[in-house]
Amino acid sequence: MSPVVLLDNEAAQALGEPGHPKHRRVLSHVQAVAQRKRRGTGVTMAIPTAVRVEAGWDRTDPTWAFANRLRIRDEALDPTQANQASAIRRRTGVSVADAHLGAVIQATAEPVTVLTNDPDDIRAAAGDQPTTIVTI
Amino acid sequence: MRLPVAPRDAAAVAVRELGAAPSTTALAAEALRATLEAIVMQAVLDMHYAEHPDARPDLADLAVAAAELDGHPLASQPGLLRRAAAEIVRTRPDADADDVVLWAEARAAASA
Repeated sequence: MSPVVLLDNEAAQALGEPGHPKHRRVLSHVQAVAQRKRRGTGVTMAIPTAVRVEAGWDRTDPTWAFANRLRIRDEALDPTQANQASAIRRRTGVSVADAHLGAVIQATAEPVTVLTNDPDDIRAAAGDQPTTIVTI
Repeated sequence: MRLPVAPRDAAAVAVRELGAAPSTTALAAEALRATLEAIVMQAVLDMHYAEHPDARPDLADLAVAAAELDGHPLASQPGLLRRAAAEIVRTRPDADADDVVLWAEARAAASA
């Protein structure tokens, strides 16, 4: 199984803004992923689309060109995940974006790692799904 | 695209006996896609580092990141990983992040 690395709102913003105080820290994780890909480890990076909205990451905006080129795939909010995210939000009170992140975590069979500045909310959104949470 | 005989035969065995992919073509295409993706990703990062040199993570940063991505117990000891990174490059200048984590793990086990 290929591990999946998910970004939360601040991780996405830090990645997209070279002047962000956590830019280098998030880049170190992206670089570690790139090195593993080079070795043939099938690790992938993804961002739930609701998180992308919260972070202001518009793929048509040239200011996001760097992040766009890093092969970070979108996890779209489909009807099934919308139901899951709604239940997570009702149960935990996390934001819409974190609820979508939780739905993605719970729907992913592969091991998941989340880069976040809010580990408590991600832990709540992940529920019982084993998740590695990295606080940036 | 023509493949050398040995890897082509090995791919056929992997598909037939191990179910590695639906076909040897699918297996080769997936491997090629993954390799190209890694090359492109590194090229994008290198271009970014050229423009923003301060953004380039050092070996210690990468070791901490690698440990964190794996949920490795040493992720909670970044100081140990940073010392291990400083040590390992003296004898292995080409060491990567996973080498550092392994070295730090060995040092921690030896001192336990």
